[in-house]
Amino acid sequence: MPSSPPEPVGQCESDGRAPGGCKFASQAMRQECVKPGDVLFDFNSPGRGQDVDNVDSSASAKGVEASPLGRKSSSLTAGLHRLNTSADDNVMLSARLRWRVGSKFNYACQREHSTTIRQQNELNAAIHNGSAKDPSLSGALSGRTIAIKDNIATKDSPITAASKALTGYTSPFDATVIKLLRQNGASISAKTNLDEFAMGSHSQHSHAGPVLSQHSRSGVPLSPGGSSGGSAVAVATGQCWAALGTDTGGSVRLPAAFMGTVGFKPSYGVVSRWGVIQYANSMDTVGILAGKVEDARRVFGCLDVFDGKDPTSLSASVRRHAAQRQPLGRGLRIGVPLEYNIAGLAPAVRSAYMRTLGLMQDHGHSLHPVSLPTTRQALSAYYVLAPAEASSNLAKYDGIRYGYRTQGPDASPKSGLPLYARTRGEGFGEEVKRRILLGAYTLSSEAIDNYFIQAQKVRRLVQRDFDEVFTQLNPLLNSDITTGSGVREEQGVDVLLTPTAPTLPPTVEEVKRQSSVESYMNDVFTVPASLAGLPAISVPVKLSGGGDEMVEERDVQSVGVQLIGQFGDDQLVLHAAALLEHIDREV
Amino acid sequence: MRSSTIRTAPSHFARALQYTSPGLIRCPRPCIVAKWLQSRSLTTATAHEAIPLRKHLKDEAKRKKADAKRDGNTASTKPGGDPRLEKWELTVGIEIHAELNTASKLFSSAPAEVLESDNGGTANSRVAMFDAALPGTQPQFQVATLLPALRAAIAFGCEVQRQSGWDRKHYFHWDQPNGYQITQYYQPFAKDGCLVLDASDGVPALDMQGADRLRIGIKQIQMEQDTAKTTNVGSSTYHVDLNRAGVPLIEIITLPHIHSPQTAAAVVRKIQAVLKSVSSCVIGMELGGLRADVNVSVRERGTSGVGSSYSGVSGLGQRTEIKNLSSFKAVEDAIIAERNRQITVLEAGGVIEGETRGWTLGATETTRLRGKEGEVDYRYMPDADLPPLVIGQDLVEHLTSTLPTLPDELQQELQDEYNDAKTLIDLDSGDRLDFFLRTVHSVTAELGMSSQAQIGKMVGNWVLHELGGLLTTHQRSWDDVRVTADELKNILLCLHRKQITTRVAKQLLADLFQRAPAPAARPSVEQLIETGNLRLRPLSEEEYRDLARRIMEESPEMVKAVREKGQKGKVMWFVGQMVRQGEEGTVEPEKAKAVIESLMGG
Repeated sequence: MPSSPPEPVGQCESDGRAPGGCKFASQAMRQECVKPGDVLFDFNSPGRGQDVDNVDSSASAKGVEASPLGRKSSSLTAGLHRLNTSADDNVMLSARLRWRVGSKFNYACQREHSTTIRQQNELNAAIHNGSAKDPSLSGALSGRTIAIKDNIATKDSPITAASKALTGYTSPFDATVIKLLRQNGASISAKTNLDEFAMGSHSQHSHAGPVLSQHSRSGVPLSPGGSSGGSAVAVATGQCWAALGTDTGGSVRLPAAFMGTVGFKPSYGVVSRWGVIQYANSMDTVGILAGKVEDARRVFGCLDVFDGKDPTSLSASVRRHAAQRQPLGRGLRIGVPLEYNIAGLAPAVRSAYMRTLGLMQDHGHSLHPVSLPTTRQALSAYYVLAPAEASSNLAKYDGIRYGYRTQGPDASPKSGLPLYARTRGEGFGEEVKRRILLGAYTLSSEAIDNYFIQAQKVRRLVQRDFDEVFTQLNPLLNSDITTGSGVREEQGVDVLLTPTAPTLPPTVEEVKRQSSVESYMNDVFTVPASLAGLPAISVPVKLSGGGDEMVEERDVQSVGVQLIGQFGDDQLVLHAAALLEHIDREV
Repeated sequence: MRSSTIRTAPSHFARALQYTSPGLIRCPRPCIVAKWLQSRSLTTATAHEAIPLRKHLKDEAKRKKADAKRDGNTASTKPGGDPRLEKWELTVGIEIHAELNTASKLFSSAPAEVLESDNGGTANSRVAMFDAALPGTQPQFQVATLLPALRAAIAFGCEVQRQSGWDRKHYFHWDQPNGYQITQYYQPFAKDGCLVLDASDGVPALDMQGADRLRIGIKQIQMEQDTAKTTNVGSSTYHVDLNRAGVPLIEIITLPHIHSPQTAAAVVRKIQAVLKSVSSCVIGMELGGLRADVNVSVRERGTSGVGSSYSGVSGLGQRTEIKNLSSFKAVEDAIIAERNRQITVLEAGGVIEGETRGWTLGATETTRLRGKEGEVDYRYMPDADLPPLVIGQDLVEHLTSTLPTLPDELQQELQDEYNDAKTLIDLDSGDRLDFFLRTVHSVTAELGMSSQAQIGKMVGNWVLHELGGLLTTHQRSWDDVRVTADELKNILLCLHRKQITTRVAKQLLADLFQRAPAPAARPSVEQLIETGNLRLRPLSEEEYRDLARRIMEESPEMVKAVREKGQKGKVMWFVGQMVRQGEEGTVEPEKAKAVIESLMGG
């Protein structure tokens, strides 16, 4: 609880001339907790089943914790942190001091060694009392260090989303994925840098400074990809065993491809988003970066749990169906989308991709040309829908209850600015502001029909395109699937194989020269699976080597190729990725 | 949806039970109407609630009195009314926001109870993380909040939609932590209902156009979140209390079917009464549980205005919106002021702008808040975190079958059951009806159910005519009646069991009518009968005959009139004489008549 006397209500101040900004203080905030019996009817929503949080019910039962809103004046950044820590102020402070220290690649927002130690102490105490088994000894992830993209909440360190707007804010709760990782024995090693609010393809738009790749070309660093660039660099440089990222339009797969790691985006709704800062919440997916497909699969196995706190969490019945999927017992039927063979495909990527297709065929898998006609509109649709949702999801950052707030009043009629304009203008970076404005426009009453509604229609067509090529029917659209076949054998394909990105990573200099639209082009192959919510993975394959150009030693040595599966077919996608990875290594 | 999983949320019904007794002996609680319903096996899960019919009727009477007084004043100052209203027709549509009677907020498990006293809860003490819009939190639809919303939709005869959706309405304000309100803009959960009013609801005769009833269409009902409470403290400080943020509301949108300020106020009153009767909304307008926005336009009668069309009703004038009216009087007065303003503008050749206007109580004019160019673009967008709301027909049927009786239905049922109910309803703001029902109920309880209609007839006669006669004779109002329903019951039971004569029963009633009110000082009916020696002591056949012969001998002309002139009516004169001359409480008229007839014939 706050050490100062509690104030009865939040307080807003201004310059005394007019209604100004608000500051906020509160006494106590109830912990969110889903109680059994809260849900009276099972209406047809996805996701009603067991609650992953039972394990932690003792914590939520305590009810009142320190308030995340406990602020009274503008000079309270330090104080706010203290409110959120009980006895371990020093641990927290030391964790904070590591802010921006990271590594020479600036991949980390904070490292959490001290936190891990504290956690270990608590755990030891629990074991001593006989109240808990030690997951760090027996869990699926015991002894593994996992880095976390800094848009996923952990209550023992600040969460920044690489934005000034969240200055000084520490979440009062752990994201569900964090709880699950810890329950399985993992230690959280760092919070990793990213594009602000996960908006970007090169991890250059960060309030903490750009993420740097260890690769370079002619002495100029390469783009690490984005927005989960920090997580990809952490994995690629061995700072952690695996990392969590978030993938809204390719933000896990693209950095994986650029950094030579595996990057897996599960089906939408499989991994809980509770505690994950929203960017475009109809597409946001927690993803996994790892050195090997097997490692990604192991982390995924721990996160594939229904969560009642996430209203989009996939229901138990759909999960059961996915789990009951029989092994193929034959070679993969691999789809090669014709529309992905674009003019802008870089020769190095094209040759690696072609070689991979050939290798798969050599190993007994069959290739089938397929058509996904809406692919060309998908990128445009994504860049209408994602900013629209972002403009809504980011409306909460007004500086009243937490985060950055401008000096002085923020709504003086004399300034002629609308409410919060200064706070938000100063708190957000250029790319975030660009997308908020874009989204606010496409949702406006004059533009919504031509943009947002059209884009939703395109999204539906993209999904239909995919449904028409897979052997497996979409379990979300076919309710009888759990009882019947759900499979169209001998027509359609099991997975699609595509490049992850059309080019090798550009240098950061090239990125700077790119227009926004050129930068968005990097997502052209990853966005369709995001729009349809499909599982997709980027696997690194060797550059073809004997190509036209010599590759520098410091340059990237791999190309990312992407496997996309039907909704819910996450295990098949991981299986196919492991095959591909194996074949590529053999060569 | 399985009906076996259907549960009602009992805890929040407790608040509906705060309908407590003021301690008057004539007003035992719970309200007899609820008891009456229970006695007829019409109980529902919510039937233990008192249905505030009596209060409703009382409020109506008060209002009518006030109306009459005001109309009188208006008439005296403005003979003939406003001639401009002959030329211009008013059209009004109303949007009502009502706080639902639920245990939790709409999208979090934080408690929704906003205590009736303003200081009832510590500020910001009922706030879940989602309510404070913490990063990474998501809404959790609380299914139980649907129940009072559905009861309201059913009460207004709406079509409950199998599938509806949640949308975000964006605007920045301190009272809106997420930067948007979650509402049902594109797909509301209930559509196409109606509200039926009659003259007793306060609709002016002019609006009724000769019909008995006035139908006001309800376009839709949607669920949405309430906002936080902000208080201006001094010139530069605002306090923000998130306790109310996220509390479930329903917004009820009527069609523009309303053509007078009085009817508009009546619509709001009636909506509140219906919401209360089905326990959807238990906090009245006076406590902030209900807020109304009104859309006002005028057009020259017989024209189609400027051709505007709202909610499918076309041919209207340009409308303006007046927001946040928090009393019935404010609704009525704001509409009057806005109507007059619009007529003045139009008569001067001006044009009405589509704008939002404000009204403060006691003002004579509405004030412009913002014009079309200042209108907020809410950028409505489906909330991708929330799955569609799917409501099963079985749930709707279950709630329909267990819905508490609505005020109109209750009146109808009473009228169907008791001939006198209609008369009784209109008397003494329903107090007389309440007295009647309590008497019927207690008499029936003693005598069994079979003769309920008969008992109703008997009690109706005594309540209407005997008590009514005493009121007239003594020039008292119903409020001064000290006879209790229990006393009347005891009198009627004695009468029914032939322990006293009708004449004695009337005497007892008159006696009790004049006695002091304090219960202790009043003798019981039994005591009065004993001390007055009023119990019926039946005469033998022979004693009847002796008495009859004596009277016949005293009046030979009357005997002649019956026997020779055949004036059978004169028989009753003899009966009367027998009752009068016989000892008190001994002569039963029926028997006396039989004896006289046999002697005359013999």
